[in-house]
Amino acid sequence: MRELVGRLAALDPDASTAVQVIAYFDRLAEGRAGVEATVRGVAVLAGCAARLADEERGVFLRVRPDGHRDDHAGPASDDWPRRRAGDVELVLEKPGPPTPVDLMALERGVALARDVLDRTRGRAPDPALVELVVDASAGETARLRAARRLRLGEQARAIALPDGGVLVEPHPEGRHVLGDSRAGVGPVVPVARLPRSYADAKVALRFADDVLGPRVVRFDELGGLAEVAAAIGSGAVPSPDVVVLNGLPMWALETLHAFVHSASLRTAATRLTLHHSTLVDRLGRAEQLLGWEVREPDGRFRLRLAFALRRLHAHPE
Amino acid sequence: MEAVPFDPELAAALAVISQNMPPSLTADMIPLLRTGVAPAEDLTLGGIVDLTDVDLGDGVSLLVCRPVAAPETASVVYWIHGGGMILGDNRVGLADPLAWAVELGLVVVSVDYRLAPEHPDPTPVEDCYRGLVHVAEHAADLGIDPARIIVGGGSAGGGLAAGTVLLARDRGGPEVLGQLLVCPMLDDRNETVSSHQMSGRGIWDRTSNETGWTALLGDRRGGPDVSIYASPSRATDLSGLPPAFIDVGSAETFRDEDVAYATAIWQSGGQAELHVWPGGFHGFDLMVPQAALSQRAKQARVDWLRRLLGR
Repeated sequence: MRELVGRLAALDPDASTAVQVIAYFDRLAEGRAGVEATVRGVAVLAGCAARLADEERGVFLRVRPDGHRDDHAGPASDDWPRRRAGDVELVLEKPGPPTPVDLMALERGVALARDVLDRTRGRAPDPALVELVVDASAGETARLRAARRLRLGEQARAIALPDGGVLVEPHPEGRHVLGDSRAGVGPVVPVARLPRSYADAKVALRFADDVLGPRVVRFDELGGLAEVAAAIGSGAVPSPDVVVLNGLPMWALETLHAFVHSASLRTAATRLTLHHSTLVDRLGRAEQLLGWEVREPDGRFRLRLAFALRRLHAHPE
Repeated sequence: MEAVPFDPELAAALAVISQNMPPSLTADMIPLLRTGVAPAEDLTLGGIVDLTDVDLGDGVSLLVCRPVAAPETASVVYWIHGGGMILGDNRVGLADPLAWAVELGLVVVSVDYRLAPEHPDPTPVEDCYRGLVHVAEHAADLGIDPARIIVGGGSAGGGLAAGTVLLARDRGGPEVLGQLLVCPMLDDRNETVSSHQMSGRGIWDRTSNETGWTALLGDRRGGPDVSIYASPSRATDLSGLPPAFIDVGSAETFRDEDVAYATAIWQSGGQAELHVWPGGFHGFDLMVPQAALSQRAKQARVDWLRRLLGR
């Protein structure tokens, strides 16, 4: 059956009408297909290599007309057709006047690529500037200059990521979509105090957990738990409650975690996609393994604290 | 039933394709579909592949494609074209096999078997088997190594390839080095979850599938009287087969039968490499060759051939 369409490649430029070109890029946008797929669509439609550059964000990519990514670009020629949207420029590697399909592909392609980059990369800043702006040992003048170049405005916050990663974003408009990995969000501060926000963000990161959740933790919501973090360093011996938690099977951990972080048993059951009575049954068995009752306020607090301590031990500094 | 979503890049292309190629094809559309097949491209690839037609009589023929740079005694891909058992010929859909031939120094032999419904089962699979026997018996004339014959095909051709390999096993026929089954059409019963799930969507849905199998089997389709050579999914013993490569999209009718076939091969103690490409519709890599997923799927086949051939 595959041969039925034969050589009618979906994007045969000769067969494409303006409507199809527009619809193609609209569907890429709907499906969030990404910037490479966008440039690939342009290259295939135009029948020549297409290159996209965004110097501000340090993005460069080039796709050949057969769809293969090939960033080894020769020197560009001034007479190649090109189109710019903001900082993003899309160029067709062919001389001479562009065809109507070329023009349409350039226009739709560059607009979509800019949208995708705005969404996925934010305004990707120079990492050295970001490190500088949160570095307490750097002079305030240098930090303020970095903050201006990052266009952070008056108020901003730092976000700590695993393995020493750091992001900064202005307040109130954010720049980063979090949740793909663990993240600790620092408090909003005047930009000169971003090193403080970053230090707090690293504390919040210690409470983030990518198995049971939450993945993203805000320092502002930690309250007194932030003080507890200081007490649990890398050499700290886990308390007996943490040892017990670490020994539990996954179903028990998930049950207890959902229970202790939900307003009601019913909410917890929904969260776990369990029937209410199944949850009650599981909770009873989990309590037996745990060794204390969790449905009373004291036991509930003890469990919550144990979970918090467990995350601190799992992420020492 | 919730359908499997298409890969976003493929979905954008599918919308264009669907204007020419609806998901559901019926028997009354066969004459029109046969006229709609695009003419073959330059199969010599600009003169670097020699082409020879070999007439086997009774309307069956072989197209022998030998790259000028191929060794004197070359390995062979014996290729069986697709087209739902009802369409196509042995010059269509050869772009990928020819690319392998040039890259790996292989000879491609593409069989023109007779099509249903004019020639119902067992004619198509018997024609394919006859061509395979011819290739093995005329290895010296053809300049090929009879111990290094790979049988492959796409879609209906993949199903016929699997059936041909089963015939070779059961009749003590030619030794087959490997079977390359590209999104193969294997099961006339048409009752898997994926066949229902993708109904009315993508390419070659369950209606089209019923059209193709009914053309091949008539009233026997789905009943007890269908051989494993026509419908390899019906085979319960898949032992003693050469290593298989099987690929399929997650968003197509054939997903479940193809996964099951690989599983049955493993359970019979055989070797199979299975790829299920996420969000792929039927034939996506042929119809949208530039897409990221298509590039990966094509590369996986070349990699398998390299390993099989020790290149």
